[in-house]
Parts: sequence; C-alpha cells; structure tokens
Amino acid sequence: MDHLMQTMIQDEKTKQALIDQFAKEAAFIIGEENVSTNKADLLATCRDYWPVTSIWMSEGTVPALPQLVVWPGNTGEVSRLLALADRMKIPVTPYGEGSGALGGVVPLKGGVTIDLKRMNRVRWIDEDNLMVQVESGLNGALYEEQLNRAGYTGGHFPQSLRCSTVGGWLSCRAAGQFSTRYGKIEDMVVALEAVLPGGTTFEGRSVPRTATGPRVDHLMLGSEGTLGVITAATLRIWPLPEKRHLVTYTFERLEDGLEAIRRFMRKGTRPAVVRLYDAQETGNHFPELGDKVCALVLLIEGAPRIVEAEAAEIEACVNQLGAADVGSEPVEHWLEKRFNIAVASMLFQKGAVLDTIEVTTNWHNAYSTYRAMQDALLGVEGTMLASGHYSHVYPEGAALYMTTVGFPGEDKVAYYKKLWQAAMDACLAEGAAISHHHGVGLHRGAWMAEEHGAAFSVLQKIKQALDPNRVMNPGKLGLGEVEKWRK
Amino acid sequence: MAEVNMEQLLNCAFCPNMCRNECPVVQTLGREAVAPSGKARIAALTGQGHLDWDEAMLEAVANCLGCRGCTIHCPFEELNLCDELTFSRLPAGKEGLSLPGWDPYLNNLRRYSSPYGQKKDPVIKHGQGAEVLVFNGCTALANNPASIEAAASLLDKAGVSYQMIEEDCCGYPAEVWGDLALAEQLASENRRKFAESGASVLLTNCPECWSVFTRRYADWGAPLSLEISDGPSFFLQLIREGKLNPGGEVNEIAGLLDAFGIRADKNDGKLALSYHDPCIWARTAEKVDQPREILQSIPGIAIEEPAASRENTRCCGGGSMFQLAFPATAAAIAGRRLGEFPPQAPIVTACPFCREGLKQEEKPVLELVEVLDRCCK
Repeated sequence: MDHLMQTMIQDEKTKQALIDQFAKEAAFIIGEENVSTNKADLLATCRDYWPVTSIWMSEGTVPALPQLVVWPGNTGEVSRLLALADRMKIPVTPYGEGSGALGGVVPLKGGVTIDLKRMNRVRWIDEDNLMVQVESGLNGALYEEQLNRAGYTGGHFPQSLRCSTVGGWLSCRAAGQFSTRYGKIEDMVVALEAVLPGGTTFEGRSVPRTATGPRVDHLMLGSEGTLGVITAATLRIWPLPEKRHLVTYTFERLEDGLEAIRRFMRKGTRPAVVRLYDAQETGNHFPELGDKVCALVLLIEGAPRIVEAEAAEIEACVNQLGAADVGSEPVEHWLEKRFNIAVASMLFQKGAVLDTIEVTTNWHNAYSTYRAMQDALLGVEGTMLASGHYSHVYPEGAALYMTTVGFPGEDKVAYYKKLWQAAMDACLAEGAAISHHHGVGLHRGAWMAEEHGAAFSVLQKIKQALDPNRVMNPGKLGLGEVEKWRK
Repeated sequence: MAEVNMEQLLNCAFCPNMCRNECPVVQTLGREAVAPSGKARIAALTGQGHLDWDEAMLEAVANCLGCRGCTIHCPFEELNLCDELTFSRLPAGKEGLSLPGWDPYLNNLRRYSSPYGQKKDPVIKHGQGAEVLVFNGCTALANNPASIEAAASLLDKAGVSYQMIEEDCCGYPAEVWGDLALAEQLASENRRKFAESGASVLLTNCPECWSVFTRRYADWGAPLSLEISDGPSFFLQLIREGKLNPGGEVNEIAGLLDAFGIRADKNDGKLALSYHDPCIWARTAEKVDQPREILQSIPGIAIEEPAASRENTRCCGGGSMFQLAFPATAAAIAGRRLGEFPPQAPIVTACPFCREGLKQEEKPVLELVEVLDRCCK
C-alpha cells in the first residue's frame, strides 16, 4: 500500500546517523521548526515539473527523495548550512518553487534539500539608479507586483512567472516572454550574492560594469545549484511603460516570418514580445486565423514616440515579405491566455506525454532546425504532434520552441528518452544549441559534452575547484554520474 | 460523504502550481508541501491508495484557508481545490487521525455546539415568528458582540421584524476538522430550530456560515427552506429602499472612529477608509460591490483600495478557522495582508474572522455594520 517512497533513480543515500547529526546541528543554526524529516516535506521537494516525475507519480513512485529539508531565513544561515554539509560531505540540493522541466531538483543522492522560500524579501529599490536587490526565494509574480506598486517593472515574464522564484530564474539562465526588449535574466543582473560549498559568501558590486577581471558572481548564472547557492541579486528595473502597441501579422510561409523578424532586428527595433508560430500552432492558439498561415504576434512598449517609430519600422519590414495585418486581438488573446497550461494536465490524464524542447538557432539554420526537429519528433513511434514557434529573437538568431504530444502506450519513460534523443540529435546535427532557457537539469546533462566541446572540461575544472567534495546538486548540468537514469 | 473529484484533483496535482503566488499559506510559510499542487498531490496519492495518511500529511493538506485565492488564476473551471482538499482528508478523520491544534476546539464543539466553548446568547431577542432570523455565528458571539448589537440596531431603525435564537455552530468547523458526522448533526439541529422559528429569511453577517448554509446543508441532509441572505446585500437593500438613511458630517464620522480608538486622516475633505474583502463574500458569493456601495452611501467617506481587492482579495489568515487551529500561521498571514493596505486609512470589513485577524493593538478594524449603524440616525 504505502509504496510511494519507492525511488526510481536514486543513486545512493547518506548514512542515517550522519543525517541525524546534520539535523541536530541545523536545528541549532536555523531553529527546529525549520528542519524536517517528515514524509510530506520529503515528498514535496523531491520533484519538479519534469514530465518523468509526473509519470512516476501517477504510478505511485518518486524519482528520488531527500533525507532532510531545511528552510534557512538569511544568507548567513545558508552559509553555515553549506559549511556543515561540506564538512560532513552530505549532498545538498537547492530548491525554489519546483517549476523546472528537466529534473534539476531531483536529489539523486538523497541528502539535504535547502528550500529557499523563506528568503523572499525585496531588500531595497533604488529608483535613481534603476536597481532592485531581492532575495532568491521570492516568487516571480510577487516580485513583479512589488515593483509595479513602486511604479517599475522587472521586465521578466516567463510562463512560470507565478510558480518560479527569482533564484530559479538566475540558476537556470531563464528568459521571459518580453525578453527582446528587456533582455534575458543575465542581461538584467547587475550583481549576485552567493554562497559556495564550505560557506564562503561573496557578492558582486552593484555597478553598471567593471573591467576588473571576470565577474565571478556572474559565474553562478546558470549553474543550477552545482557550484553553490545564489542567495540574492541586484537586478535592473524599468519605469512602467507609458505606451503599449499590439499588432499581429500573418505570413503564408514560416520562412517569410523569420526573414521579416531578421530584417527588423537588423534595423535596431526591439519589440518586447516577438512570437512567430507555425501554421499548426497558429490554428491551435488563434482558431479565427485558421491553420494555413503563420502568425507573428508583436507587443511594442515604452516611451510613446519610440513605440511609434518601432511600429513603423517593423511594419515596413513585414510588408516586404507580404504580411497581412490582422490587428491586435490575437495579441490580447495571447496576453490573457499566456499562463494557461491546463491542457498539459488534461492530456497527461488521458495517457499523453507532452513536453517542450527549446533550442537556439542562428538565422541561417532557424528554419532548417525546425524542420529537422519536427521530422525527428514525428519519427518516434507514438508521437501525434510536433509543432513549433520562435519566441525570443536577436540580431544573431532566434529561440525555437518545439511542443510535442505523444501517446506511447505502456512505457512512457522509454518513449520520453527516445523522443529527446531524436530531438537533440537533430538539433546538434543542424548546429543549433541544445537549450535556450529551460536549462539542463538532470536529463539534458547527457548532451552537455557534445554541446560544449572543449569548453566542457573548463566547466568541469571550475566545478572541481569550487566544490571539491562534490556536494552541490550531484548529477546535474552533466557534472557527475547519473547511473540509474542513464541505464 | 462528499466525494472527491479525482479527475479535478489530478488536474491540480499535475500542474506546476500556476496559482501558488495567490496562496497565502505557502507564500507565508515557504513550505513546498503546503503549496496548492503540493497539497493536491498528497490528497490524490492518499485517495488513490498510493500513500497512507500520517499526521504530517494531514497537517499539510489541512493548511488551506478555504480562501479560493488559488482560483484567481486557475485554468480548471470545475476545480474547487479548497473543497477537494476538505473532502479528501475526511477519511483520515474517520480513521481517527486528528491534529493537536484541532482537538480542543472539536471537544468544545461536541460539548457546547460552539468551538469557543460555553455559548453566549445574543443580548437582543425578539419574539418568535418574526420574518427575519438573524444567525450571528459563533465567532461574532464570542469575539464581537458589538457587531451583533449594531446589526440589531440597524434592523430596529429600518423597522425590520427579526429574531435571534440560541444558535448551534453552523457545522463548517466540524467538517474542516474532519468530523463530518458532527457537522451533519449540527446542521440537523439548526435546521430544526430554523423551521421552528417560523422565519422566512435567514440573515447572516458571517461568510463562513453563509457558505455552509448555501453550499453544504443540502448535502448534509439538512436542506433549508428559508431564503438565505448575506449581510452586505441585505443592508444595502434597506438603504436603497430608504429604510436606512446614512447621514452626518465628515467630522461626525471622524468622531465615530475616535470612539473606536481609530485616528483617521481627512483627505480633500473626505475621510478615507479601506475595505478588506472577505474571501467568501468576494469569490464565492461575489459580493464586492454591495459593501462598497454601503460605504459610499455615507456622506464624506472615500474608499482607498488595498493592493489586492475585490475578487482578487487576499485572505486575512482567518479562513477555515486558522486563528484557532494554526494561530501563528494566521497571525503571519494577517501581517502580510496588513502590509497591502494604505497606512493611514482605517480598515473596514464584513466578516468576524477578518476583523479578528486584521485588528492590531494600535489599529482596530471595524465591521461594516458598526460603521453603518453609527452613521444612520
């Protein structure tokens, strides 16, 4: 009956006597009420939004379990906990709000999960210098809400806005839906505060730029808890935009939409939202447009005269490619529905495996990568749908976001693995990068060496230097063994 | 026993918690197990037989205010997570599992038919047979008899024939604390008394009582034949019909606030008050305009909204009797909510739990009926 605690890919555990000792000392540091070994807390923090964890949950099992959960309340407490874990060589997994899609918080070696959600304060807002300092455990929507009340925006709106933390954004190098104007999370970072294994705390300087060697605080960006714990960040903010312009264009061919975007990005326009859907997704999201055209959804915002100028430049570019202006209504619809992912739960209950795979292309391979990945995904037995859109654009290229739905029958996990192998093979063969903003977590680690080439050994050396006892988030980012999952 | 809708519960369990920013419990405690989907997962896994209840899991699933904040952004239209969580943990109660925070109040309920112990009778009683039966609720009776007197005073001024009876608890606390049989027993007793009263309208100022009368009594085998009316709608109707006439000058109202120990600043010749929408009035009963219209009917009052208001209001920490069962959590949630109000504007609300949760030593909170009564001649 009570077989929930069966773990599917736990590689090892720490001896219980050591965990008990850690719990005792942790209670002294952060208070007994902030240390837990109860089943409810272990269960809650053992997973994220990785589809495999949902598959296993539906079968009454879990990927792996932490042995202890702790809730530090400030950076000093994080430091003391990391020093203790390092000294006792106990694995540590940092946890935010668990919205990651690749198993980044699965505690493969058990140990301690550090839940950072008690660290949720906005420390200060500097209106003159347009900066905010915020602790890493703050929920994204509540962060934006606090800024809005002061008349500012953080400019970062991932689909997980309401279910992810600022620390999570930083740890996986996130990107928000308004990224073409405000930048990705790394563009918003002025400085980070972090704690390394062993307890060393350091903070970058909150100045616009420095030329004093590499910014070591920025090294923590995208480290997914493998190098230490990000405890706070100084981020850029913007006054709330005075004007917003919404417009949608349709193209007969996806390639024409891509070319139009490439041209207006070369002109220097930076609309906040740029989303180009293939015909299938256009039909799904905007039924009134049909499924024979490709919709380009644009949202331009900022100072009124700049918005008007950008809109005019963009219109000129899209007209060169034969676009049709279909008005603002699809953008309004997207704004209203952009956080709605109900279909994922509903399809899952009907036996589907639904996943999204985002990669980065240049302009020369933006379309061919889409075709190659679509063919690869549809080539896996059981796949019913493979569609795509481009959702973040640059002068150099674009992010391609593939959505796939399959009904594989019995062995969903085996199907999931085949699906990803096919998608990553196609992506790498096209010369695209394997992730744009979901990060690596547990599952994508398999392709890290191929993705990075010689640079991966540099990352491995950094890991060895900062975390010689290898306590931080074992098995993630491709840095360490993931034996049971790879079998 | 109410059945869990497992399909809806699983919709939530497989969702990445897209509503968690509006769950005051997880945002206050920071504990993953009490996030909406975290609770749904435990509830689903126990319901499917994958997991046995233990006290920690029961406590996690019970960490729900019933405030329905999670519905603000929920894409599953048929899902009422607060109800599903309540239903899902009833089997644990049947197995004899309870929480230390519940036990003393459950004992009170069983012995006195009130979670607060020995019941206080309402100070005002009118003759049997009056058209309107006023149901005050245990919390107002225990904590704020002044609001009962204010409601009675308003009914007198409006010439409404009413009665108050010796009430039993509405039963909602018993359901929340896992004793459905007790809830049904209390409902049955109340139903009998309501029938004997001869009243045709059941009026309550307590949103929790209103909710259970309208949403549970029929399922509990105690369908009510009376028209059930909520305080904000009822008193607004009396104003609209000209039976209540709020008047007075700004200075008089400032004096009224002084009488409650509240210092209020005047702004542009108007006195600013802030209205806290009780969760049930706002999201279940959809009564957000009525209380505002009542306040606006009083000359010289201006309403300043808190950061989250109307249908998007945030719980004071008092939902589902949290003030009794989880007092520290309730106080912490109230502290967060208070931070969302304009600092100078006194808070008015229309719920005995909200009044209790948001009041501070230096800053009391007023019940809507108290403000209205003072402003009606």
